[in-house]
Amino acid sequence: MSEEAKQKILEWMKSQKKTKHYFNDLCKAVPELSMRQAKKLINELVSEGKLRYWSSGSTTMYMLPGADDVKDEEDKMT
Amino acid sequence: MPFDPNDIMKDRLTDIGPPKFDKFFPPIVKKNYGKWKYHEIIQPGVLVHVSETGDELYSVRVGTPRLVSVDFIREVCEIADKYCDGYVRWTTRNNIEFLVSDKSKLQPLIDDLKSRDNRFPIGGTGACITNIVHTQGWVHCHTPAIDASGIVKSVMDELYEYFCSHKLPAQVRISLACCLNMCGAVHCSDIAILGVHRKPPFIEHDRVQNVCEIPLVIAACPTAAIKPKKVEIDGKEYKSVEINNARCMFCGNCYTMCPALPIADGQGDGAAIWVGGKVSNSRVPPKFSKLAVPYIPNEPPRWPTIVQTIKKIVETYASDARRYERIGEWIDRIGWERFFEKTGLEFRHEHIDDYRLAMTTWRTTTQFKW
Amino acid sequence: MALKHKTPMVDELMSGPWPSFVADIKRLAERKPQCDDLLGLLELSYRDKEGHWKHGGIVGVFGYGGGVIGRYCDRPDLFPNVAHFHTLRVNQPASKFYTTDVLRKLCDIWEEKGSGLFNFHGSTGDIILLGTTTDQLEPVFYDLTHELGMDLGGSGSNLRTPSCCVGRARCEWSCLDTQDLTYDLTMRYQDELHRPMFPYKFKFKVSGCPNDCVAAIARADCSIIGTWRDNIRIDQEAVRAYVGGELVPNGGAHGFEKRPLDIQAEVIDKCPTKCMEWDGKNLKIWDEECVRCMHCINVMPRALRPGEDVGATILVGAKAPILEGAQLSSVVIPFMKMEPPYEEFHEFVEKMWDWWMEHGKNRERLGELIQRLGMREFLKVTGLKPDPRMVNTPRYNPYIFFDPADVPGGWERDTKAFRERHQP
Repeated sequence: MSEEAKQKILEWMKSQKKTKHYFNDLCKAVPELSMRQAKKLINELVSEGKLRYWSSGSTTMYMLPGADDVKDEEDKMT
Repeated sequence: MPFDPNDIMKDRLTDIGPPKFDKFFPPIVKKNYGKWKYHEIIQPGVLVHVSETGDELYSVRVGTPRLVSVDFIREVCEIADKYCDGYVRWTTRNNIEFLVSDKSKLQPLIDDLKSRDNRFPIGGTGACITNIVHTQGWVHCHTPAIDASGIVKSVMDELYEYFCSHKLPAQVRISLACCLNMCGAVHCSDIAILGVHRKPPFIEHDRVQNVCEIPLVIAACPTAAIKPKKVEIDGKEYKSVEINNARCMFCGNCYTMCPALPIADGQGDGAAIWVGGKVSNSRVPPKFSKLAVPYIPNEPPRWPTIVQTIKKIVETYASDARRYERIGEWIDRIGWERFFEKTGLEFRHEHIDDYRLAMTTWRTTTQFKW
Repeated sequence: MALKHKTPMVDELMSGPWPSFVADIKRLAERKPQCDDLLGLLELSYRDKEGHWKHGGIVGVFGYGGGVIGRYCDRPDLFPNVAHFHTLRVNQPASKFYTTDVLRKLCDIWEEKGSGLFNFHGSTGDIILLGTTTDQLEPVFYDLTHELGMDLGGSGSNLRTPSCCVGRARCEWSCLDTQDLTYDLTMRYQDELHRPMFPYKFKFKVSGCPNDCVAAIARADCSIIGTWRDNIRIDQEAVRAYVGGELVPNGGAHGFEKRPLDIQAEVIDKCPTKCMEWDGKNLKIWDEECVRCMHCINVMPRALRPGEDVGATILVGAKAPILEGAQLSSVVIPFMKMEPPYEEFHEFVEKMWDWWMEHGKNRERLGELIQRLGMREFLKVTGLKPDPRMVNTPRYNPYIFFDPADVPGGWERDTKAFRERHQP
């Protein structure tokens, strides 16, 4: 059940044009779950390395990790 | 077990939270927790707290620049080891407090602090100008309109006598935020220095699609001033954005999402000065700070106009306010027309609010002073 | 050793009576090239009157959505040692007491694995470790957790690190155990602190009394401010000692000379509700009229103390201007006993968060959501009853959103009967 919901979240992420999403956007992928339930699954996806955080410092978003995303970003920044 | 770079999950600890607050309490604080009876300031920067148990705790308060090195912290440790049995604390306004329970150590501690050049100024108590709380400025922030540490240093150098004395009518809390995002929340300060940009970001159309995600840039704008736009340069079409400059309020959030929208500008940026805020409930309720000067240009390294403007406000207040009146209470008594007259600051159209609920700030009475 | 960068403008901040951050950083720059480059970069900013930092978003420690803020210099060609210069926020112990032992260990870790520079402390209250590279984030985190028993604080759309005043550790006025409550909230809500789920930031600040030394009312989404319900405790003999000039008023805060306190002008006339009277021998306070502003207590700390039936006033919604303008917190719970295990408060907090998470727009602070959907809605979801203590004044516009449940027959109309009474 929860694996299925987690898969739905990942599928939704892959179907989007934007690469970064707010928490409540992600929750839209699993409307049948409460936000707290969704949060638990999203935490699990993060700890499994299937989602990663992006933070502007004041706001946080979620993205799918790329193979070399940290390096890519750092190359872009400097 | 040392850190294993090849297996970061090994022995990993998470969510342990901060050390429990009493872990680093000096024994006298542990013993008298919740039992303090009264306090007195015995000289500027030196407090004694007396407990119901009869214990006395002396605190020596010193200002710091907040931005400090390991060498500085080690020097603090050396002093705390010598006089305070290895305990020390920080206040919410970036002052350090050296605590001694043995009065015979107090004077030697004070003498020692004074012997270390200007590194440990004693003060920050009572009706004074205590340390300025501030943000990061050009030292480490990505959207600042002003520096922070350099302005704070320049202002405190000039107003130093007020840090080490109790000669003002009441305490004057100065704060600085280097842009209007105000990560320092300076909007309720007696005097606030606020970095302001005055030019909207410019758009590097040929870079936007490569370094930014356009929907996110659009979503980042708090006033919805940014829209997608296709732009043609030398026959090549680029996906980019356009900005409704009239709606820009210079927060820099778009630049956070997109480095191809630089907002900083050496000519446009500078500081606004705000006055009359407070957070304590003492006598009158908390108040917002109000605009005193809409713009002062950046003048590194010593920012003389900002420094002199603040000095003028402080000195006018010091000579005119009654005992206990904070700057905001003083202005409420004399009226804004007198404030501008007495300080010699110019009243301009920027002072009259034109944002939402502006009318609540307009004068709706025939009561005013000539 | 000579430093690499010439910094004539920045060097002008070496002189003067206030401690110089430049002198301090220079001392460390002798052995830390990052510090040398940082000063060089600052000199460039002083010349250009523009900052030189960019912001990056992916970097962090694994599994945490906050506590690390990516930072990159925009002139790595000139200042390669600060090309990547990320920040870590370390959750401070409540009210910021330390031992030299823990500070020294922190310095050793940070000198080895970072720039050796701190903000002691950041605006939210955390210890800020200023400047390191991505490869050092996990090692620093490992050392913090294993060697110091410390953890990262909040950033982004997280619960931000809760903070408080010095409280009962060294203040006689604290009406609640500010540190204990701060610690309780910090530990109970570690998940919210480290793994963002909110529309935007959320701050708790705890002040022990209405003097509000942590500025809770100005900057916390939930401000907890100590207060009391019974009478100010009076030591009449000490009052007479102030009037007689034997005690220094204000504990010295307004000058040290022993002078007779003009109790009428300095205390009674300054009282916002004029609830006091001095008959030459005794001070009488009509406590039921007192609004607990603290002025009289501040002026006569040896004579007056807050009452003993203590707790907190809970206010919500304060924020800096972005976006809808600055707000102060507003009273929603005039009084709550604040004693462990704080269950009543937790329940309130969780109801408030559930509502905000469900209805808040992205980057909408709690105070803005309350403005948008109404205080009535907030009170409804948190189960609170309206109270005149929640307003400065009742509304003065007539646009009342009446509830159909309160109107006989609801909003249904018998149109036929209406037309029988009124011809079109």
